[in-house]
Amino acid sequence: MIKQVLELLFGADPELRQIIGVTLRMSVMSTLISALIGIPWGVAMGANQFKGKAILSRITNTLMGLPPVVAGLIVFLVLSRSGPLGKLSLLYSVPAMVIAQVVLISPIIAGMTANIVSLRAPSINETCAGIGINGWKRLWLTIKECRIPFVTSVLAGFGRSIAEVGAVQMVGGNIQFKTRVMTTAIMMQTNMGRFELAVALGIVLLIISFIVNSLVHRIQEQTLRDRTA
Amino acid sequence: MIALRDVVQQFGGRVVLEIPGLQFLPGRRYGLIGENGSGKTTLIRMLAGTSRPTSGIIEGLQGKKVGYLPQSPYAFSFSVLENVAMALDGRNDAKELAQKALVAVGMESLVEARGERLSGGEAQRMALARVLVRSYDVLLLDEPTSSTDVRSMDFIETTLKEYVEKTHCTLIFSTHSPAQALRLADEVLYLEKGRLVEQGPAQGLFHSPEDERTKAFLRHWSLNS
Repeated sequence: MIKQVLELLFGADPELRQIIGVTLRMSVMSTLISALIGIPWGVAMGANQFKGKAILSRITNTLMGLPPVVAGLIVFLVLSRSGPLGKLSLLYSVPAMVIAQVVLISPIIAGMTANIVSLRAPSINETCAGIGINGWKRLWLTIKECRIPFVTSVLAGFGRSIAEVGAVQMVGGNIQFKTRVMTTAIMMQTNMGRFELAVALGIVLLIISFIVNSLVHRIQEQTLRDRTA
Repeated sequence: MIALRDVVQQFGGRVVLEIPGLQFLPGRRYGLIGENGSGKTTLIRMLAGTSRPTSGIIEGLQGKKVGYLPQSPYAFSFSVLENVAMALDGRNDAKELAQKALVAVGMESLVEARGERLSGGEAQRMALARVLVRSYDVLLLDEPTSSTDVRSMDFIETTLKEYVEKTHCTLIFSTHSPAQALRLADEVLYLEKGRLVEQGPAQGLFHSPEDERTKAFLRHWSLNS
């Protein structure tokens, strides 16, 4: 089996390459869109005190732990033929998988961003108020100061996206050469008793996860070094 | 003149500051002393406008230029010079004035260093330069030398005196050191558990305090200094 796995990994198997391609395309797209939603959402929560902040924070924390199958179910119902966006015919396509992942990942990025910002915002706000810097300029300075930890939250979102299986299976349908991604392929191949492709994909997934985690670790170490030097 | 009337500040239902009446006259230097939790920071934050009183009125700050140095100022990740110049954003001579302000706090050798890499004492001096680079009608400093060493403290106190003489601003600062209050302030206010216990000319309050609580605080300080 090892020989077959290595042949798959280093050979030119079209299905494996296609699965990796769809996975990366879906994960990158969903992470980027989630970052565009999650970062402003997190900054708004972390940098300001406002009425309803506690309830918004609780909702965000709940959504951070949203079970993927629930997210998949919601998106499935919305995109199904009789659903509100049924006319778009997006079900069982990569965009549908991206939408499901955005529902899952945006709150994670928002929650992490809010934590990052809330650690620095009180001190930045006091300092800026003391020298007459207010409004948008103060917010921009806060965002600039948190930019490196923001990368960590986006990478965490990407890590979640690439490893997710439940929601993408439900709305993507695991269609060969169309919506099959690494996680759904591993599950299917394992169920069929064809372990070579499953193991090969598992190795690729682990390597990607390792790279993402290494980047996160490096950024966190760098940030800590800068703050304590 | 700044006036506080029936000012109360509560956090989570607990009264942390309660001042029925208090006035700060223009051009005078006021030192707030008291132990941790006495309400010094709360009072300064309310005057700075970063915290609103639960009830009561603060008058005399509308339209005034108010400078404020918080207890834990933020050191931005850009250079020390830019950290100070940011207070003068838009002025052509911002960097030149920032350089002068840094010299005044003894930080001329660190102008190119990144703010986030400074030690606690250096960051505090940089933050002081950032405030002192502009002119204010009212200057509020929350423990401006809490992280600095003795030599830097002398330097900073001299700089502060010169700044006040030059700008004629009202200076209100808090300190853990009654000796510093004596050196810098015209008037000293002793706070305890969120209440103003005693207020008076610095020399008078130190040498003949009237309230037993002030006497106890100063006795404790003189025994431990």
